Amino acid sequence: MSSATDEEEGGPLRRWTRDAIQNPGSTYRGLFYVVTLFFLVTTLFPFYWLLVLALTPGDQMRNIGLLPNGFNPYAFVEMFERLPFHVYMFNSIVIALTTTVIVLLVGSFAGYAFGRLRFRGKTPLLLLLLAISYFPPAAFILPLFQLFTGNVTLVTLPVVGAVQSPNWFNTPGAMVTPFSALFLPLSIFILTTFYSQIPDGLEDAARVEGTTRIGALFRVIIPLSAPGVATAGVLTFIGVYNEFFISFLMTDGQAENWAPIVWGVVNYQGQYQAFYNLMAAASIVGVLPVVILVVVAQERIVSGLTAGALKE
Amino acid sequence: MGDVILDNVTKRYADVTAVDDMNLDIHDGEFVTLVGPSGCGKSTTLETIAGLTIPSEGTITIAGVDVTTRPPKDRDIAMVFQNIALFPHMDVHDNMSFGLRLRDYASDEIDRRVASAADILQIEDLLDRMPDELSGGQRQRVAIGRAIVREPAVFLMDEPLANLDAKLRVHMRTELQRLHKELETTIIYVTHDQAEAMTMSDRIAVMNEGHLQQIAPPLVCYDQPANLFVAGFIGSPSMNFVDGTVRATEIETEGFDVEFDPSYVDELGEGDEVTVGIRPEDVYPAEDAGELANPTRPIRARTDVLEPMGDEIFVYIILRGEDASDTDADTGAAGAASAHGVDELLMSVEPDSTLTDDEDLEVVLDREKVHLFDTASGDAVSHDIVHSGSVGEQRSAWEGG
Repeated sequence: MSSATDEEEGGPLRRWTRDAIQNPGSTYRGLFYVVTLFFLVTTLFPFYWLLVLALTPGDQMRNIGLLPNGFNPYAFVEMFERLPFHVYMFNSIVIALTTTVIVLLVGSFAGYAFGRLRFRGKTPLLLLLLAISYFPPAAFILPLFQLFTGNVTLVTLPVVGAVQSPNWFNTPGAMVTPFSALFLPLSIFILTTFYSQIPDGLEDAARVEGTTRIGALFRVIIPLSAPGVATAGVLTFIGVYNEFFISFLMTDGQAENWAPIVWGVVNYQGQYQAFYNLMAAASIVGVLPVVILVVVAQERIVSGLTAGALKE
Repeated sequence: MGDVILDNVTKRYADVTAVDDMNLDIHDGEFVTLVGPSGCGKSTTLETIAGLTIPSEGTITIAGVDVTTRPPKDRDIAMVFQNIALFPHMDVHDNMSFGLRLRDYASDEIDRRVASAADILQIEDLLDRMPDELSGGQRQRVAIGRAIVREPAVFLMDEPLANLDAKLRVHMRTELQRLHKELETTIIYVTHDQAEAMTMSDRIAVMNEGHLQQIAPPLVCYDQPANLFVAGFIGSPSMNFVDGTVRATEIETEGFDVEFDPSYVDELGEGDEVTVGIRPEDVYPAEDAGELANPTRPIRARTDVLEPMGDEIFVYIILRGEDASDTDADTGAAGAASAHGVDELLMSVEPDSTLTDDEDLEVVLDREKVHLFDTASGDAVSHDIVHSGSVGEQRSAWEGG
């Protein structure tokens, strides 16, 4: 132990280091603020920059600093006049919701099987399913495009002749189907974890009381796994809503042809002119549904991702 | 209408046979308890009746209908589970009415039945509570309520009292018996606690290692156990067992001899190895033996440990290896016990007894209560070596029904 006189010796740097070693709590708190600030800046600055762009009048799109060159909130109205952006958003929401419903339904059956039944080859099968989600969606683009534009002969029947794949270009089916396949593995994994934690006795009780196995799934297991179902659902919705490749590929970009918001944003760019302020405004508007969803559901998502536990 | 018949029911898993060739014939309105140590197949048997497990072989008939492969919901049964299994996301009313709502009962009929069940179980005040706001005993009542509102042909109960504390368990035992008297519905009850089985049942089905050992009224299981397992399992503390050999006029064991005429029991002859069974309450200090019609000769022993229970005292006694009648042979031979090897018996005596630790005494056995078992097979051969008659004749009396 050093005496009082020793402690007061040395320059400010030395005193500060000694304080930091003796009282690490304040240092950690300081580091926490630094790191938090870093993440806040890196995630929020792009949104701020979008707002700056959106508010800058279209003819002032040069040498923009940290503040908009002028103030033109009219861009948020003009974006709807130039393109039916609300239709693009509607398309995206419909596609994302449909996918979410399919994923939750199919994922629940799969999750029930993986989480609650005993069968041979369960683990390898689950790992195989998860492996699908390792592929980048871009890897499937060419074959999927061929498939959904009717260019693939599925099977050749003796009387009917060749059966072509459906021509789903410009329809939601061309997007919902691959999205469901791509987002199922994650949801199955989440739901499996949750469903496996529901005590067997509850399912037995429901079956004795008069449900089938599927009835017990919907009346007891799913309601008790609500945080897990919400997590899987929200993650799927956001994933599909934000998806780029397949959304961009499977329509011709017209709002009436089920084109999602990707096309909405891109279409503000013409052959000779690009309305960057409108693109920025559209990006902000397009992100709103996801922001609202996350704010509303965040408690459920957090508890679903971390805990995954049911009392008892 | 609520009879349950199990015919050669067998349940095999990959590496074990949980239930082996089980035959049960349970009458309408009967309270039958399946009892046995853990892993004996009693819960599996109940699950096959419930339909939660499909038997590998055999048929199950409930109320005259073959339900072997039917799902649980089509069997007209209700079940109370060991872990209670109330639905945590529903309040008490919804838990109790779950089965009725699934069957599309009218809402006023549902309310009437829930109210009457709540009245029977005294849980009227709890109907809008959630399960996690209830105590263990209240949850158990709700679980029973959920079973009785459906008015099924058969109640199945899988150790429903196992998770309750000792006092509440004894209380709920009485409640269940009262409920059974009131509803007059068949109850099949599973427990590992032989006291629960003894006190509540019309008949007890004792199981071990997947096999049915005996099914009989509680006192028959107690007084005339079918084999060594039942004799040891039913009754607490359990029966004393001593290995012995049949001789011309007696059964010889290491610690004592019992007068016995082998000609009484057809199955036995001289030289056969038998196990002598005697319950603690049928062992008496010699001075109290006056009232016994057929005591054994006095057996010299020494008390070991005393366990006063309040209403009786359990005394562990060490047999000194010779009959008191041979005293002239070894007067004052204190080391005789060790020379002959030591056998221990448990004796139950009146609470006013003056016995102390390490006290020499003489005891007698009530020969009318001595059980004989074939050592090799474990089967009972006699439950009363004085009046005897073979076990087969005694058994037919209660198995006939």
